[in-house]
Amino acid sequence: MNKFQSKLNRQGTKVVVQLGGIIDEDADFTALAIQDAQEVHIDMDEIKSINSCGIREWIKWIGTNDKSKIVYSKCPKVIVDQMNMVDGFLPSSATVESFYVPYYNEDSGSEKNVLFRYGVEYKDGQVQYPAAVNDESGQPMEMDIIENKYFKFIKSKT
Amino acid sequence: MLTLIPAVALLIYLTIALQVFRDDKVAYVFDTTSQISVSIAGQLKTKLDNIVKLTQPILMDLSQTEDFSRISRAFLQFDSHLQSMAVMVWSERAQNYEVGPVLEKNAYTFEKFWLTWRAQWNPSLVQVFMNQTVVTNPFLDSRFVIVQKVDRPNSRPYLVILLFDLAEFTEQFETLSAQSFYLIEKNGKILLGPKKALGQNLRDQIPLSFLRLNQQVAGSGVEKINDQSGAAKLASYASVGWGDLYVVSTVLESKALSAMNVLKRKSILFFVILLAATTILSLLASSSVTQSLTQLFEATGQVSKGQFDVQVDVQSQDEVGALAANFNRMASEVSRLMGQTAETARMENELQTARMVQETLFPAPQADLGPVEVVGFYEPASEVGGDWWSYTQVGQSVYFWIGDATGHGAGAALITSAAKSAAGLIESLGFTPSQALSALNRSIYDVSRGKIMMTFFLGKLDLKTMKMSYSNASHEAPFLFRHKLEDQPFKKKDIEFLNEVNNPRLGQARDSIYKEVSVQLGLGDLIFFYTDGVPDIRDKKNQDWGEREFIKNLISAVNSSPRPKEVMAAISENIQAYRQGAALADDLTFFIVKTKERVMSEGKKNEQVSI
Repeated sequence: MNKFQSKLNRQGTKVVVQLGGIIDEDADFTALAIQDAQEVHIDMDEIKSINSCGIREWIKWIGTNDKSKIVYSKCPKVIVDQMNMVDGFLPSSATVESFYVPYYNEDSGSEKNVLFRYGVEYKDGQVQYPAAVNDESGQPMEMDIIENKYFKFIKSKT
Repeated sequence: MLTLIPAVALLIYLTIALQVFRDDKVAYVFDTTSQISVSIAGQLKTKLDNIVKLTQPILMDLSQTEDFSRISRAFLQFDSHLQSMAVMVWSERAQNYEVGPVLEKNAYTFEKFWLTWRAQWNPSLVQVFMNQTVVTNPFLDSRFVIVQKVDRPNSRPYLVILLFDLAEFTEQFETLSAQSFYLIEKNGKILLGPKKALGQNLRDQIPLSFLRLNQQVAGSGVEKINDQSGAAKLASYASVGWGDLYVVSTVLESKALSAMNVLKRKSILFFVILLAATTILSLLASSSVTQSLTQLFEATGQVSKGQFDVQVDVQSQDEVGALAANFNRMASEVSRLMGQTAETARMENELQTARMVQETLFPAPQADLGPVEVVGFYEPASEVGGDWWSYTQVGQSVYFWIGDATGHGAGAALITSAAKSAAGLIESLGFTPSQALSALNRSIYDVSRGKIMMTFFLGKLDLKTMKMSYSNASHEAPFLFRHKLEDQPFKKKDIEFLNEVNNPRLGQARDSIYKEVSVQLGLGDLIFFYTDGVPDIRDKKNQDWGEREFIKNLISAVNSSPRPKEVMAAISENIQAYRQGAALADDLTFFIVKTKERVMSEGKKNEQVSI
């Protein structure tokens, strides 16, 4: 059912939050208290989708801590799209540690999400594309995004 | 009929039961009276035996002394019943038996007796010589006489007369009760019995068969006979065993069976009461059932006429009561569902009205604004939606609006309505896009208090310079397709995004700051504005169209024709082909703005025409 799932793990002054499922009007962030943390690390690997009501709840939640360091990691495309489009979804105090870039091969229809990591595939507003991304049969794959649009949040952080 | 059948069955049963009881009662009476007769006869025989046995030593003494000795007189005193004893001796002189020795408790007892009885002596004498002991009460009172023959050798036999009193037996026979007891001789003469009957012949009153002449008679028996008045009687008899005496007991059958008659009357009375009660209860029950069914019938009639709020008042606990309760529940449920249906219809009507009202918020889907053409499409996911788009020409400027409220439905539609109202005022004031969104943000925030927000894109195109300034409140960035020659089709990399500026959503915070930038448009440029409902359309398998297919189809449509109407038609066709009639997940809104490609004449530099 992809119901919203969350898990919070405190490691001293650092809080690690794992999110998954669908973020919509039923997503409850009240149990995820991050306001006192000095560093908030949000793992978004299992997030499936987010709608406009989910975005509203997200911004309210992430706004409860606007002074500490916030790190987004393993951001799926649905999150990257919101980071690029919705002002405040990626606060100015937040950085993106890693995010997924979808690739596909039009001939075979194969798809793959490649994790772009800060300092490796991108840094300081620049994207260092992988030399080649191939599918399981060795066929070359191309990015399934519009670069100007998808990597916009990287440039806006410089 | 239901009452009559058990009544007849009960009547038959009552008749059979009474007949069996009657037969049993008759048998019981016969048995009882017979036992009584035998018992009385036995008592009498025992008494007579004892009296006769008492005389045996006296007679032995007599045979030796020819007279009663002092010992004999002493024996006489031992028996309370025996009054006197006389010996009749044959007299040659008189050629007859004459009174010989007499033994008596009181003087002259026998003499007094003999003086009265001697006239009746002869018949008894005959019987004695026929070797029959004579036992009788000649005066029909308690005094009884036994005459016995005592044979002697070489002489005529003595005839011994015993005179004794059986007062206790007399009382027993005289006592009046339901039964009558008689001590009779075989010829029917009543020796003891009710006083009125003494001396009469029982045969004249009751034709007992055992009294008929030459009738062989058993020791005891019972008979059912009718007396002279025709009344049925139950009779029993028993031989005393002395002489030809019999004890007879009779009882009126009506009295013997009086208990049965009482039972019969009470049974009939009980039967009548039971029958009446059954009939009344049946009628009452039938009436109750009929009334209940009548109520149900009338209630169903009302339901068939469309009146569903009817209830029947049946309190019985039987099947009819259960049927009535089920009817009431069914009627209530139908009434509730009818009310619910009416409420649903009312709400649907109101939503239809709201949709009609909301449609007035949208501009005409096609417009020719001089140097630019506009074509738009809008379809809400439900009756009303949270998307809104519009265009308005104010002087030489055209405002292009597109927005998407949080969620969709009535609440989002109300916000779009508020946005439309504010937009009209903003346009009249000639605000720049950033000013416009700032003002609109405050308006939406004041209305929704942060509960509903809107993404918005606002472009303001100067028709003279073809420069469009725009501001974006976190809305999907429009796609800009720069004009290309027909033999140079668009590719994904050719798309420019109007995303050079981004701002908070409207309604997120009242004091949000909105920035704007501008872009220069050229002849034949096309801008595609849309909401996120477009890439989010789903097919019947609930699969999203997705950004890749969306852009692929958009490019294909743009490449298909230079005319914006045809591009719009191609996009719509692609969307419908993917959906295959599936419901929308979100409101679907998009519109195309295309600048015309040629200037009409040198004299009219600012006038453009479409191809």
